[in-house]
Amino acid sequence: MQSSSAINYDYTVAKYFTVATIVLGIVGMTVGVIIAFQLAFPELNNLFGEYGTFGRLRPIHTDGVAFGFTVSGVMATWYYVGQRVLKVSMAESKFLMFIGKLQFWLYVVLVASVVVSLLLGITTSKEYAEFEWPIDILVVIVWVLWGVSIFGLIGIRREKVLYISVWYYIATFLGVAMLYVFNNMEVPTYFVSGMGDWYHSVSMYAGSNDAMVQWWYGHNAVAFVFTVPIIAMIYYFLPKESGQPIFSYKLSLLSFWGLMFVYLWAGGHHLLYSTVPDWVQTMGSIFSIILILPSWGSAINMLLTMKGEWGQLRENPLIKFYVLASTFYMLSTLEGPIQAIKSVNALAHFTDWIPGHVHDGTLGWVGFMIIGAIFHMAPRMFKREIFSKKLIETQFWLQTTGIVMYFTSMWIAGITQGMMWRATDQYGNLSYSFIDTVEVLHPYWTLRAVGGLFYLIGVFMWAYNMYKTATSSKAIEKEPQYASPMA
Amino acid sequence: MDMEFIRNLQGWGYVAMIFGLTIGFYAYIYHLYKSQKDGVKDYEKYSRMALNDDIDDSLVESLHPQNNKKINRSVKDELAE
Amino acid sequence: MFHWLEKNPFFFAVGVFLVIAYAGIVTIVPDFMESARPLKGTKPYTALQIAGRQIYIANGCNTCHSQLIRPFKSETDRYGKYSLSGEYAYDRPFLWGSRRIGPDLHRVGNYRTTDWNENHMLDPEAVVPGSVMPKYGFMFKKSIDFKTAYAEAYTVKKVFNVPYDKPGMPKLGSYEQAKKAAFTQAGKIVADMRNQGVKDAYKKGDIKEIVAIIAYLNSLK
Repeated sequence: MQSSSAINYDYTVAKYFTVATIVLGIVGMTVGVIIAFQLAFPELNNLFGEYGTFGRLRPIHTDGVAFGFTVSGVMATWYYVGQRVLKVSMAESKFLMFIGKLQFWLYVVLVASVVVSLLLGITTSKEYAEFEWPIDILVVIVWVLWGVSIFGLIGIRREKVLYISVWYYIATFLGVAMLYVFNNMEVPTYFVSGMGDWYHSVSMYAGSNDAMVQWWYGHNAVAFVFTVPIIAMIYYFLPKESGQPIFSYKLSLLSFWGLMFVYLWAGGHHLLYSTVPDWVQTMGSIFSIILILPSWGSAINMLLTMKGEWGQLRENPLIKFYVLASTFYMLSTLEGPIQAIKSVNALAHFTDWIPGHVHDGTLGWVGFMIIGAIFHMAPRMFKREIFSKKLIETQFWLQTTGIVMYFTSMWIAGITQGMMWRATDQYGNLSYSFIDTVEVLHPYWTLRAVGGLFYLIGVFMWAYNMYKTATSSKAIEKEPQYASPMA
Repeated sequence: MDMEFIRNLQGWGYVAMIFGLTIGFYAYIYHLYKSQKDGVKDYEKYSRMALNDDIDDSLVESLHPQNNKKINRSVKDELAE
Repeated sequence: MFHWLEKNPFFFAVGVFLVIAYAGIVTIVPDFMESARPLKGTKPYTALQIAGRQIYIANGCNTCHSQLIRPFKSETDRYGKYSLSGEYAYDRPFLWGSRRIGPDLHRVGNYRTTDWNENHMLDPEAVVPGSVMPKYGFMFKKSIDFKTAYAEAYTVKKVFNVPYDKPGMPKLGSYEQAKKAAFTQAGKIVADMRNQGVKDAYKKGDIKEIVAIIAYLNSLK
């Protein structure tokens, strides 16, 4: 009636991006582990001349995991989930298939040019927006192609109502598009002066304005890359893998809007309005609090979805990944607002507590969700069982240990250094020179690097397991409905 | 425009945004639960979209309305099982 | 209304966009005009300092060093007067940084000399035992890209009306004039340095990266 049984979902593009996710995960995290060890053992900086220093490698790590690993993961899951919840196959539209493939290959070009240019020190220096203007243009093209793909697929859908995950994918697309374009406004110097490097540019904004735009971008880009699309994933993969419908679909709808409002509200809380009456300002604050309350709904909704089914947590390692991911989501969304409190921020800013906080979210929430999602997709994409359940279990525990080592050491390091910077003796003189506050961090930095290494080894296990699944695992005849089959 | 005026505009604009969003947001929550309770619309059935997502599975709500009745029944049957 | 939005992806998308954009406009735009004004006495960078700043950016110095002194006693004691918004009026891009793996550099020119910087860049550990900073020996060998530095200065002058060549402000002039001025400025720094390779190169009319980055660091006051 609506579809003939001859049509099947087409996972070609999803497979491409799955490969990209794994490869870029390995690249981005390997660089991360290297720079973590460089802090503990600075001699490692000098292995590759100017191309191997911390300052050159750090953007490759941050961009590699954010725009490499995470964005590929988002794309891979979109090209999988999008078809399924809209009940339409990519195979039904030659045009969308072409767009998907074009998007992938341009993305590959993009990633390669980013890595090369950052190694060469071609950068605008703005965090998570280091790319010079020619690469920015490529970013915009790739992103627009993704938009065509999203709205194209929606245009030919059979299911009338958009599933909640699709809402989140749309929000990711729009949010990142707006933020990225505004933060990367720059003037190419070659076209004004006629000399110098053709790819060099200066920011459209100066000084404090530049900082303001950058952190408006920085804060919200984190939201739209590390939160919104990952929620899209959990709303699909957790119910599907467990066979349990979402605890409350209504709660998922309203927490979507709650989240949209909170993220943009978060940028404004530091503003003071001299002439707006006090009571209005107070009302504003009260309303803001009322507004943020429901945004916690997503995480609670996920945990309640598992109500009465906690046995699955023991039996199914993928459920472990999803549940731990939502736990880390709650942890880091609690930690973020705490760090935004003025007195806490005075201590935490510029210290290791900040990267510590970022990594709770990225390693625990983003990483686990993407790894878990791709494991779920594997038997459906490759029509084979997952190669080894034991290996997934081992990977899970190794990575969890890694995360715990990472964030505990960074919390201690951050608070220690923050306290030492401000410590004074009885006469009011500073107690420590700067280098004292660096030397004391050595054990924590070592511990952090080892924690990161554990996580990276887990990623290699994932890659191996995926490779075996795709090539030599036992074939399955019928697509599994819920729990993924694994040997 | 002087700075004072812009600051004012910003302050009121911000407060207006928070008020508007909060009211709209809670109206939406009310709408969701009210329509569910009055039987105008069953939101919870949409969560089946993730579970019954084979290309041959019946649709939760078809784009073509003439198919809807039958399909809805089949989904309800499934839920009842 | 809500039913309708749920079924119309296009208007749904417009709704999401408006909500996001409105917040951005309200929170960001008004502050723009205020903080763009330079503080009295703040001058744009000379072309040589821009060349140094470009090297600073290319090597990601800002990943470990902040340039923002916060108004706390512990920070002003350590780094000097706290930073004011107007001091950054000519910084494109801003270089506040987000993590202090090394100390703040916003006023490093007040308490470090050319000589200290030279030794420190060559081997940080020898000057500050326990330092985790990489060695930057390659800056003593690589030459600066003065054309790109001049292009940047020229662009900000043309496009953003940065007051080069105004009374009391740094001169920029034509490329040849700027190059000559940079050479003179570099000469003063090279005179304070000890590295023979850099001195020899300078005699041949070649400015090494280390000279430009020291010129930039010395200008941070």
